[in-house]
Amino acid sequence: MGLVDVVRAGRKPFKRAYVAVFLWFTGRAIQAAAKVDEQVRREFDSLPDDFTFSLGVLPDGPWMLIGKDKGRVKYLGGNPGGRRIYIRLAMKNIETAFLILSFRESTALATARNRLITEGEVPHALAMIRVMDIVEVYLLPKMIARLAIKRYPSWTPGRKVFGRIGIYTRVLLGI
Amino acid sequence: MNPETVFTFTCPVKTNSGNKALENLPIELSGLNAGKPLIVTSIGKVGRNAIRTLTGAFGDSGMTLGVFDGLPDKVDPALIEQLRTTIIEGKYDSVISLGGGTIVDSAKILNLAVSLKTTDVRSLSAQTPVNRNLLPLVVVLTANATGLETSQQATLNGTVLSSEYLAPVLVVIDPRLTRGKEGKIIYATGLAALGRALEAHIGAGKNPFREAYSFAAIRFIRENLPAAVRNPDDKKTTLAVLNAAAMSGCAFSGTDASPLHKLGQVFQEVYNIHPGIIMGMCLPHILGDYLHQGGHDLSSLLQPLTGDDDFTQTPEDQRAGATVSVLNRFMADLYSVLGKDVPQTLKEPGVPRYVMEDILDVLDADPDGVYLRAVVGRIWDKTPVAEKKG
Repeated sequence: MGLVDVVRAGRKPFKRAYVAVFLWFTGRAIQAAAKVDEQVRREFDSLPDDFTFSLGVLPDGPWMLIGKDKGRVKYLGGNPGGRRIYIRLAMKNIETAFLILSFRESTALATARNRLITEGEVPHALAMIRVMDIVEVYLLPKMIARLAIKRYPSWTPGRKVFGRIGIYTRVLLGI
Repeated sequence: MNPETVFTFTCPVKTNSGNKALENLPIELSGLNAGKPLIVTSIGKVGRNAIRTLTGAFGDSGMTLGVFDGLPDKVDPALIEQLRTTIIEGKYDSVISLGGGTIVDSAKILNLAVSLKTTDVRSLSAQTPVNRNLLPLVVVLTANATGLETSQQATLNGTVLSSEYLAPVLVVIDPRLTRGKEGKIIYATGLAALGRALEAHIGAGKNPFREAYSFAAIRFIRENLPAAVRNPDDKKTTLAVLNAAAMSGCAFSGTDASPLHKLGQVFQEVYNIHPGIIMGMCLPHILGDYLHQGGHDLSSLLQPLTGDDDFTQTPEDQRAGATVSVLNRFMADLYSVLGKDVPQTLKEPGVPRYVMEDILDVLDADPDGVYLRAVVGRIWDKTPVAEKKG
């Protein structure tokens, strides 16, 4: 053995798998929410026709892509494949991603702590943050969603219940 | 402070501090065009767990790291030359120093030797021109820091090299590594930071940038050191003390070497005692002298040392005296927490007479030698400050 030990950086398979599943589920939920929720639809209507948004972890994923295609919002998987990305929201490392996606740190707090890198125009990024906040309210019980978002909205029970059913059904069916 | 005063202030150190700060290292390094760092440390000083925590933070980055954990207590030129060869042959492109004090000195000298293509490390001197960027140097602080880690200085066996390029590009302070095993380790780190910050705050050539760093460092120490010494396992307060140490180094970089710093350094180099222990002994004496001599703006220390309310309630002409009283009480409180764990006089750690002679010889060579010798005489067996309490 030489003077110096050469160490290969280890892997974090559990955290990586958790983040990958979370991003996959959220991506499909955003696609579903654009059909079910009026506010999400309006947010996407205000974005360019070929808008693409990616959320993921540096340095090499996992990633989630959402894009608009002929006016419809679609989950495009995890590979950008040469597409132009309008907004890229990157969490600096897998630990950061796990902190945020396990709701131990809200997106706002993580941003304040410089854990995220945003590439693209700020209004587009803010629109996507609003969309993700809405989706989290649909997907998560109130107790957990309050940890993930800045302010829990006061929606009618009908919007929450029917929206939740619609989104979960579409996520599971992939429509 | 007159805003028209001409001054220069440089602090090229970026800071990453707080929960999971270590995990930012891969992306920070890639931002510096570095992808294969060499970690240098001393396993005896930082422990195996700290090394494991640091290497674990690179998880999922795909990077390859070199780890050398055998740095000695002093900068060893022969070892630095070997490590230099390893860096070149192994194509390492950055250096990460894990720990504080002489570990960082070794890392800075190693970085200098690699970047300047110096084959004979002993040839490096205070006159060596360092006027271009070196390899990215990252400092990961642990509990036993001295504050000089973030400074623009490196000490090579008594010779002080100084250049803004010697400062690390990044300092990482993560609460998993700031906790100390014993209160006296945090005490020494905190006192070294306090001593340098105090002298930077009142030293010649004040400027508002330096004052901002020194003010924050002093206040962090005042608010957190007693609690950190009482409970060295507390993440929050030890993190604050290490932040203060990092800030004191930045403030100190723009300051002329002061009596406290000189005394701390001499004892560290000759007897390998933490400079914070010596600075803690000397602090009340030197500030007392400043009070009697006048010429130092001691009153400006009262606000960071006590808080805004006490500062405004103290009449302007009494602020300098109040500063010394507050500091003496602060020191007495720390000593009362630590008891016999921390020496209050030089006699207590039993510095041998021949070592004292070496120390006095070094002090004699200093322009302030007569005064420094006098201070050493007073801390040799002076009545401990704690006994003066009340």
